[in-house]
Amino acid sequence: MAESEDSGSELIKIFVKTPKDKETVEIEATSTITDFKEAISQKFGQPVEQLCLIFAGKILKDHETLEKIGIKDGLTVHLVIRQKVGSQQQGGGSSAPAASSTTAPPAAAAGTAPGTAPGTTAAAAAQPPPAAAPFGLAGLGGLTGMGNLGMGSANFMEMQQRMQQELLRNPDMLTQMMENPFVQSMMSNPDLLRNLIVSNPQMQQLMERNPEITHMLNNPELMRQTMELARNPAMFQEMMRSQDRALSNLESIPGGYNALRRMYTDIQEPMMNAAQEQFGNNPWASLVGGGTSNPQQGQENREPLPNPWAPQGSSTTAATTTGTTTTTGSTTASSPAGQGLPGGLPGGIPTSGMFNSPGMQSLMQQMVENPQLMQNMLQAPYMQSMMQSMGQNPEMASQIIGNNPLFQGNPQLQEQMRQQLPIFLQQMQNPEVQAAVTNPRVLQAIMQIQQGMQQLQAEAPSLLPGLGVPSPSVVPPGGVPASPAAPASSTTTSSSTDSTSTPTTSPPTTAASTTATSAATPPAGPTEAQQQLLQQMLQTLAGGTAMQPPEVRFRSQLEQLETMGFVNRAANIQALTATNGDVNAAIDRLLQAQ
Amino acid sequence: MSEAQAALLLGKQLADLSKSPVEGFSAGLIDDSDVFKWEVLIIGPADTFFEGGFFKAHLYFPKEYPQKPPKMKFISEIWHPNVEKNGEVCISILHEPGEDKYGYEDASERWLPIHTVESIIMSVISMLADPNDESPANVDAAKDWREDYNGEFKKKVRRCVRKSQESV
Repeated sequence: MAESEDSGSELIKIFVKTPKDKETVEIEATSTITDFKEAISQKFGQPVEQLCLIFAGKILKDHETLEKIGIKDGLTVHLVIRQKVGSQQQGGGSSAPAASSTTAPPAAAAGTAPGTAPGTTAAAAAQPPPAAAPFGLAGLGGLTGMGNLGMGSANFMEMQQRMQQELLRNPDMLTQMMENPFVQSMMSNPDLLRNLIVSNPQMQQLMERNPEITHMLNNPELMRQTMELARNPAMFQEMMRSQDRALSNLESIPGGYNALRRMYTDIQEPMMNAAQEQFGNNPWASLVGGGTSNPQQGQENREPLPNPWAPQGSSTTAATTTGTTTTTGSTTASSPAGQGLPGGLPGGIPTSGMFNSPGMQSLMQQMVENPQLMQNMLQAPYMQSMMQSMGQNPEMASQIIGNNPLFQGNPQLQEQMRQQLPIFLQQMQNPEVQAAVTNPRVLQAIMQIQQGMQQLQAEAPSLLPGLGVPSPSVVPPGGVPASPAAPASSTTTSSSTDSTSTPTTSPPTTAASTTATSAATPPAGPTEAQQQLLQQMLQTLAGGTAMQPPEVRFRSQLEQLETMGFVNRAANIQALTATNGDVNAAIDRLLQAQ
Repeated sequence: MSEAQAALLLGKQLADLSKSPVEGFSAGLIDDSDVFKWEVLIIGPADTFFEGGFFKAHLYFPKEYPQKPPKMKFISEIWHPNVEKNGEVCISILHEPGEDKYGYEDASERWLPIHTVESIIMSVISMLADPNDESPANVDAAKDWREDYNGEFKKKVRRCVRKSQESV
């Protein structure tokens, strides 16, 4: 007790207690809390600003003195070590290892966290999908490290922790990535996810060796949970945090470390390999950042991200898709050209691998079947830059075509598509066209018009030229100013005149120009092929729309529910949508709601 | 027991707690001259949504302590099924044994003279982690807890946690 003769210089012993350990700090009784915290900071190796002292039911304020508060020799104060602002709070004990890594934000993390880099937020959203360990694998436990795909580091524990820290410290990034329509729509499609995972050869190998994983993937309940988790950033955060703790708990059990190691070599490593193989160190990075070997890998990214909307200066067509072209000029055009897009897919060798992968193919197929997905994809900024690069690189485009199931087995179509794709892609960048392509009603209207045209051509071929309508594949004027048919029409144009007009922005002129050049278009053969192509495309697209509504998608499940006595159809649909068609989960949900 | 005895008992608990504080909370007097009014700071228990928060609460002991239970009231805002919106804690061990207004509480679950500040606060901490759904004091919080644990409930709790940190 401090019945001291000279309290000014007298040292008192104070016990400082955290949930985990207890230290003794010797300090003058007249010290302020700031001094006291500094002493504690040395003992515990934690920065002063993260210390929080509690005594007698009060949080101690920095300017107060020990004496004044009544902290005397031999008394104990509580210490809570807080996490840095913005991150989740963790209990003092278990947070210790995590906190130490927080203080050293890795440079490499900058690579995976483009949200911090300058540039459009939209471009930032481009990379997250792989970083999200997206395919729900995070839920398999201990697999969040997969998010580090691009980093190629060997030390998984550290890497994983960094990644998690980064995500936790930057919740916006996580939210952003999860809110990306592309990611969301992927997440909400269990089949697509499963396909992506299952179709990877290495994953298959892994599954053969570890039947539990197969089981996990085939367990709709688990997949659903995983996906729900992935869609709920808050839950995701929570999970990552508790997983971290679980791991560190495991480590402190005798033999636990070995178990961890085993787990790593048995599961994590192959998984990582599989994932890395699949994406060649992040596919989108390769699209944006150049080839499979990302030159910026492991470095801090100071380069401004390429402007996805910047027009292509070197593009074959004049690319006057929008009126803003001139303002951005050659500098922006060359910057993506210089470091990003065009050379970025050299020789098509790496990309051919990517597009040949069954995963990508099934993605393609899904795209064709699901206009919603397509819309989302088209809206994603990285898609736009990818399209630009495809527009520039015919070889790559042709490979994509060659690999697309839609065109396989139809060389004529392939050829057609190959010729048209660059222009088609340019067209697709026009938001109006995009809107039109994804509007089922527009598609149906076009189909109807086309059928009408066909009939007209068959019944009265001589009438057509007279009407100034060269072929059924040409844009029907009026009402549908921007349509997928537009690219076809402009190709017709360009094949004959090398004209670079961009019809979509000004429908009347388009009609005029196409009509003008129509006479020169190569007749029967190609036109027929075009027509065929277009029709096929439209049919698939329109067919996809029919798949869209949940009533149809979940028809069998709905029937099941109804036979079980759940008569509220709207509620059933809602439940099924929420559970991705898992009947059992839907029943749970319905029962809970009642 | 007389008032003097109650004061003696509480004074002893205070001395004990400041000498060897218990994990998870810190206790002192609101006003050093009144041993019947306590101030407690509860450290949000780890692995709950309350983690990271510092929740201030007051304990008001009656003169009849320990025959009668104290009242406990959170001063910090807190969103919990068993805490009324005005902060009053509704927990079975703080209910007097005589009046069984809920009808299902065991006598052993209710107030016993053996309870101390420490045992009360430890019960409250465990209540934070594990709410009692049967007799919610804050019906809205109970609804959130039941129906949207990881959504609305978490959001509101985390908001309280942030507020409690700002008040530091």
